[in-house]
Amino acid sequence: MLILWVMVIVLIVTLVILAVLLKGILGAARSITPTVTAIAGVAAAGSKDLDAVIALVTTQNYISQVVAGLANYGGSLDVALPDA
Amino acid sequence: MELAVAIIILLITLIVLALAVYLIATIVELGKINAGLSQVLDGVSEIATKTAPVNGVLDAINRTLVAGRDLLEGLALKKAGPDAAGLVESCFPGEGQRFLQRIGRHGAVVTIGEDYDRGAAILNSLLGGPAPPAPSAAPAAAPAAPAAAAAPAPQSAPAPSWRSGGGRISLRPSSRGAKGSAPPSVPGRLSAKGSRPWE
Repeated sequence: MLILWVMVIVLIVTLVILAVLLKGILGAARSITPTVTAIAGVAAAGSKDLDAVIALVTTQNYISQVVAGLANYGGSLDVALPDA
Repeated sequence: MELAVAIIILLITLIVLALAVYLIATIVELGKINAGLSQVLDGVSEIATKTAPVNGVLDAINRTLVAGRDLLEGLALKKAGPDAAGLVESCFPGEGQRFLQRIGRHGAVVTIGEDYDRGAAILNSLLGGPAPPAPSAAPAAAPAAPAAAAAPAPQSAPAPSWRSGGGRISLRPSSRGAKGSAPPSVPGRLSAKGSRPWE
């Protein structure tokens, strides 16, 4: 009979510990959710910001044209100015 | 049934219920996390896709800019000689020493300042004034003579055939068409794809 009451006590303690541990796990899982949602929002915003990257191709073309004009201008200066 | 056995059965039932409730709630939260991570993965994939060509474009831009820089530096070295590093230093403080390193020279860089007397004299000579003075002997030019200076013979104030009279300079083709004197544009043209004058 005594062993049964000991077992009751052990089960009560086990129930309390189990409840605390499971509550901690659930709290940790719930704390991750808003963080992941925030990261998803930042990733979407970052992806939207990168829409302007395609303008780099235009910039590349402009720079090529500028350097080509610079080369022509330098050639003219090479003809116009005497060497050192 | 004894009271102790009944309590044991009740406690075991409570334990199973607690396990079920908390684990089901945890599974639901993990499902939300999984969905959120999927959204994150979509956003990151878009970022990776959009930034994929950036390296190539920036490398091409850098190559073009370096070619332009080499072109201007070669022109400065060819035309200003020993004063080239000083001119670069005057325009871009701190770049004179790097310019010397790029052309393989050493020495101190003498800043020309805002006024370049020899350049002004060259412009005056092109307008019909006296011949410009020789470039100043800056310390940076002392170690070695540049290949660019050695290759072409120095011309003392050449009078370009396309220069019209009256001291007016025009780089437009129409100004030379009357006399039919073609400008030496091809030989004098510097190419961004060509080698640097000192190489």
